[in-house]
Amino acid sequence: MLKGLYTSYSGLINEQSRLDVLTNNLANATTNGYKAEGSTSQSFSDVLAYKIKDESVGYNTARRIGVNTPGVKIGETYTDYGQGSFKSTGNTFDLGLSGDGFFNISFTNKAGETSTKYTRDGSFTIDKDGYIVTKDGDFLLGEDGKIQVDPLKTTEVSQAGIVTQDGVPIDTILLTDFEDYDYLEHYGENYFQPVEGAEFASASAKVFSGYLETSNVSVVEEMVEMISVTRAYEANQKIMQAMDSTLDKSVNSLGKI
Amino acid sequence: MVRALWTAASGMSAQQNNVDTISNNLANVNTTGYKTEVAEFKTLLYQNVQSTTTSANGENKPISAQIGLGVRNSSVTSIFTQGSFYASTSSTAFAMDGAGFFGVQGADGSNYYTKNGNFTLSKGINGLTLSTTDGYPVLDTEGNEIAFADDIDSSQLALTSNGEFTYPDESNNPQLLGISIGIFQFTNPAGLEKTDSSLYQETAASGAVINEATSTAVTKSSIKQGYLEGSNVQVVDEMVNLIVAQRAYEMNSKAIQAADEMMGQANSLRR
Repeated sequence: MLKGLYTSYSGLINEQSRLDVLTNNLANATTNGYKAEGSTSQSFSDVLAYKIKDESVGYNTARRIGVNTPGVKIGETYTDYGQGSFKSTGNTFDLGLSGDGFFNISFTNKAGETSTKYTRDGSFTIDKDGYIVTKDGDFLLGEDGKIQVDPLKTTEVSQAGIVTQDGVPIDTILLTDFEDYDYLEHYGENYFQPVEGAEFASASAKVFSGYLETSNVSVVEEMVEMISVTRAYEANQKIMQAMDSTLDKSVNSLGKI
Repeated sequence: MVRALWTAASGMSAQQNNVDTISNNLANVNTTGYKTEVAEFKTLLYQNVQSTTTSANGENKPISAQIGLGVRNSSVTSIFTQGSFYASTSSTAFAMDGAGFFGVQGADGSNYYTKNGNFTLSKGINGLTLSTTDGYPVLDTEGNEIAFADDIDSSQLALTSNGEFTYPDESNNPQLLGISIGIFQFTNPAGLEKTDSSLYQETAASGAVINEATSTAVTKSSIKQGYLEGSNVQVVDEMVNLIVAQRAYEMNSKAIQAADEMMGQANSLRR
């Protein structure tokens, strides 16, 4: 009896996590370069159930009665790296990526540690020294490191990622892809970071200057998911109440004359 | 659960900022020299909720299950594209064609910069002074006030495209007055601080002011007399952005409702 109570409890917790994931998608529905996330549910490992002290068959030997699944947990949270749609902005330093690949950003955190992060968010600008930076001031990396342009001249970025001024190529924007996106972790700030075991691959993405890649969150999908989450939560709650009322019967009504 | 509530709340407040930015753009659609602004967002940090994860085919995944904690407003950026020009009957209406700014001396004595070239002549200590409609004197290439003799006919005053004032002599030939209107540039105009009355102020992020008259590196701007630069707000874009922002706000409020409903159900477990 109580086993079932805990099973539905694990169901409630799991639905909460699903709601957390989908809410984050909705919160980031207008975030540039955001990739929708999802989560899968996985049953707890099966456990063998035995009958012990079963005197009906003689000798008090344990008898196997089958498997029992005591609940559910998050299987994985995954990211949908599908292409987001483009929004035209007309700014040279808004760079949309079409295809597989990430921008390389030299990111310095509040503690002053610098590391390379990867992003699909192509909203860049130039700082007073002419470096191409994110809106937070972290540097976009080219093949020769930080990309510095003359801020007083017009800049062009070709589809191959070549930054030119007055027809003179300055640098090529470095794009990186990964063999297996499972080795990418979310950092926050629209950044991804590879974990140990990640293998780099050459990127096939083209750079479109004057466009931004919007998030690939599908609102309809999230709304349907939300209905499914709330209803599954309700169902688990009902099971719990049913368990409770059965327990109530056995505790308070059984043996009454 | 509380996670979902705060995540959705961060989404709602980000969209509020978005709507604030859009409505400011729409409010300034007819403001001379106004540059449209755009709000951008970034994800907040991620929390690891479970360290072992299993992919669909039963293998262990290298990363833990991560749940994002919402969104923040990363920047509100002014877009310094050229606004469209429209004709003005005033001879002291100037449109800046290019990356330049007009310089203005503010009430506190420090210099401000503007794209709004709707100037007027007002009586000053040194004669007729070119000033903004708020009365702030416009700067010349040296950073001084621009003053003309009291008896000039302001309708005869002309400006060449590189900013030099001319006035006709007795035989009606335009003569240079030796006064040039100052044109200033910044390496990063998006870093300028916005103050009131369409005025911008130099900051560390914008870089030091560059005087077009003394710098050879800059692409020179030209000035069109008798025209004003309208705002570069694209109303259709703003309306579409407004729809997106409003719907995104609504979606997040739905998520809060769902979280609330679920908490209510958890509450009613114990009868």
